[in-house]
Amino acid sequence: MAYEYPDPSVYDTLPKLLRFNAERHPTEVALREKDYGVWTEFTWADYQERVRNLALAMHEAGLRKGDVFAIIGDNNVDWICAELAAQSVGAMTIGFYRDVLEDEIAYLAGYSQAKMAYAEDQEQVDKFLALGDRADSIEKIIYSDQRGMRKFDDPRIVSFNDLVTRGAEIHAKSPELYDQLVDAVTGEDVAILCTTSGTTSNPKLAELPHGNFVRHTQLYLKHDPKDSTDEYVSVLPMPWIMEQVYTLGFGLNSRMKVSFPENEETAMQDMREIGPTFLLLAPRVLEQIAADMRARVMDAGPLTQWIFEKGVALGTEAVEQGSRSWLADTMLFGALRDRLGFSNVRSAATGGAAMGPETFKLFLAMGVPLKQLYGQTELLGAYTLQDGKEIDVDTVGVPFEGCEVKIIDADTDGVGEIVTRHPNMFRGFYKNAEATKADMKDGWMHTGDAGFFDDKGRLTVIDRVKDIAQTRTGTKFSPQYIENKLKFSPYIGEAVILGAGQDYLTAIICVRFSIVSKWAEKARIPFTSYTNLSDRPEIYELIRGEIAHVNESLPETQKIRKFLLLYKELDADDGELTRTRKVRRSVIAERYGPIIEALYGDGDRAEMNSEVTFEDGRKGNIQASMKIMEVDGAAAPALKKAG
Amino acid sequence: MAEAQTLESGESAAPSGYADTRTIGGPILSVENIVVKFGGVTAINDVSFDVREGEIRAIIGPNGAGKSSMLNVLNGFYKPRSGKINFAGQSFPAMDPYFAASNGIARTFQNIALFRGMSTLDNLMTGRMLKMKRNFFWQCLYFGPAQKEELENRAHVERVIDFLEIAALRRTPVGRLPYGLQKRVELGRALAMDPKILLLDEPMAGMNVEEKEDMSRFIIDVNEEFGTTVILIEHDMGVVMDLSDRVVVLDYGSKIADGTPDEVRANQDVIDAYLGVSHD
Repeated sequence: MAYEYPDPSVYDTLPKLLRFNAERHPTEVALREKDYGVWTEFTWADYQERVRNLALAMHEAGLRKGDVFAIIGDNNVDWICAELAAQSVGAMTIGFYRDVLEDEIAYLAGYSQAKMAYAEDQEQVDKFLALGDRADSIEKIIYSDQRGMRKFDDPRIVSFNDLVTRGAEIHAKSPELYDQLVDAVTGEDVAILCTTSGTTSNPKLAELPHGNFVRHTQLYLKHDPKDSTDEYVSVLPMPWIMEQVYTLGFGLNSRMKVSFPENEETAMQDMREIGPTFLLLAPRVLEQIAADMRARVMDAGPLTQWIFEKGVALGTEAVEQGSRSWLADTMLFGALRDRLGFSNVRSAATGGAAMGPETFKLFLAMGVPLKQLYGQTELLGAYTLQDGKEIDVDTVGVPFEGCEVKIIDADTDGVGEIVTRHPNMFRGFYKNAEATKADMKDGWMHTGDAGFFDDKGRLTVIDRVKDIAQTRTGTKFSPQYIENKLKFSPYIGEAVILGAGQDYLTAIICVRFSIVSKWAEKARIPFTSYTNLSDRPEIYELIRGEIAHVNESLPETQKIRKFLLLYKELDADDGELTRTRKVRRSVIAERYGPIIEALYGDGDRAEMNSEVTFEDGRKGNIQASMKIMEVDGAAAPALKKAG
Repeated sequence: MAEAQTLESGESAAPSGYADTRTIGGPILSVENIVVKFGGVTAINDVSFDVREGEIRAIIGPNGAGKSSMLNVLNGFYKPRSGKINFAGQSFPAMDPYFAASNGIARTFQNIALFRGMSTLDNLMTGRMLKMKRNFFWQCLYFGPAQKEELENRAHVERVIDFLEIAALRRTPVGRLPYGLQKRVELGRALAMDPKILLLDEPMAGMNVEEKEDMSRFIIDVNEEFGTTVILIEHDMGVVMDLSDRVVVLDYGSKIADGTPDEVRANQDVIDAYLGVSHD
């Protein structure tokens, strides 16, 4: 479909694109939001009016070009209106993940000297108020959810709706002001300060200029075209680069309709009501959906189980031969698609981590055309994408046109660090020239990822360069690669592979509670809690079988010798995972030092004394003792590998 | 004590930037010399107290002290032998349940009393029954006035759903929900009535710490956001002392103390009732 996207040399900022759409398609639906159980629609004219009024009021309150505007809250219309309004006056926006703790906000808001903030509700406003001196640059805090706000008497707090009303008055008095403000911002100005995920240190802020953002999203759209008949449901974290690319970049360039679910828990149901044509789901979400599906099938009657097993087998077989099985589709996948809200999906992307071949094929068999992509915040999100012509579990496809990707310091297998440059990449890290210098060399962004190109020019990403480890005997291995293999087991939720500088590899495993608890119920194994379940000998035996199964596909020197089941799940709040749920190895090494020592000792138990952080920020101590088990003996007796 | 008082900020250990903006009014409901007997057993013996508009009033006491009986007197389930109840500018020897409900007294039960087979939404809609005026004929016809009424009431229920953060449970049959959420739905049904006074009979019984924290938050929010007067029976002393403005203590059917949480905590009779005293 040849839909003409607006000319990026004229409409070079996001607010200009919004104005363009509002002028040409005022009555067409742009956004939807579910409130009080009802989908509320916003046309392009409504969208523009809300942004305009808010921008005028923010301008009056003192927000100027070059200021920083912070945003925190759930994905909704107010979030993106606040973002676009701030960008209309030329401010740069930072989005915070909604569950970040005060310290992270204090660091980023303080470092960027944010001048105003949008905080959706009382919980989020609280976070800013609690900062006190640490964020004294903030002059206004805008909230949109009235609930619980009565008891605040801080003069900096203003309501979103009051600002919108005020903005309408300003517009009535000086109708040209908004256009003047918008026209004063150019494609060269920074639109977004996007936080990088920071697996290693405090997050950095990548400066993404308006023009670059608009041009790069149009380039992406060339490879995956969208138009106003496309539907998208915004469920990924709003501050994340890909959600920004889709909700703002795709939305404003192609007029793809964006819908916001009522809240996190209703997201799946709301998605089903909308029936999106396009989605991006993180591999772990897909794994979770597949795992939930299996858990439910385990609960179902024998006939349903039989249909499921048969359907999955038929469907995957067909997919492997490059077709789809109509029988499996009628029997199983049609209903599954409908159940998950994937009935209208025309295009689907995944990326950010590797995913299991079984899960990947399961979704292909279901008729969800998954394509893997690869990218970084600094490079405006994705810049490689699979073409979807064949099943390809391993690579992330070929780079977009004009994006140069090369491998440096390659070893004999062609594996080396991935470096990239393209004309629309980030400008540098905000107020952090040192970090910019460290990552950018001669105009190339050093991604820190290790990978290689295959003979078709497709890129394969293996792991972080610095995470590729070496045992004492000199064997190189990628912990993440083995961890992913483990995580393809439905029973394993998280895994951490250890072995750098040691004689052999070991694993710390967190069981996937939803599935293992079901399995335990079926097997009539009593348990009280996650910790208790993880300590059961039957569960140890179950996981041992799974690891032995993975060991079969690993070279002798990379086989996992011992493992233990951790007494708790790894948690982002405890700093063990990043907000995007990647394992933070340094934190694990530090916190679980005694456990790691025990794994390489002679004993058969590991003792642990650890500190946990509760959701409200309080801390507590937990003592635990875990068995250590050796992985010898047979693999799990031919586990039913669904999908 | 003054007829109306405003709790100023700084009275408790509230952090700066916060203010208690509630207005506590005069007595909205009071009981005088209530006596309830079951056969030869005196469940409540000559108890008097009042409840001020906008406050959270707790009734506490050991098992069998007559707390639930007192609540049942307040909304008309039990008829006292003697004494009177003053409410809505009138004085009654006993409350009439229908009068209580239609004049804004809603309650939840110690043992959950929901329609287990019905969805959360339908359960909440039953809380609006009293506000629906259209008769059977109109309901059958559906379109027109009955539909308009249904929509108005549904909108109200949706606000309650939003308030209690149970949007994801709208279509779930209540029987399938965990205990803590059923309690929340029950609170929701009471709130759907748009009550002036909310009677909560052990809203946190059997809950874990996290569920208790959630429920406490909701009770405080109901009280602060809507100005609803709350009368609360609760066993968890921590919760009672944190939530309530004033506490009345019953023991063996008699009132042994009445006052702020601090006064009650220091009262020797209360300490004796809870910890026991030697009788030699």
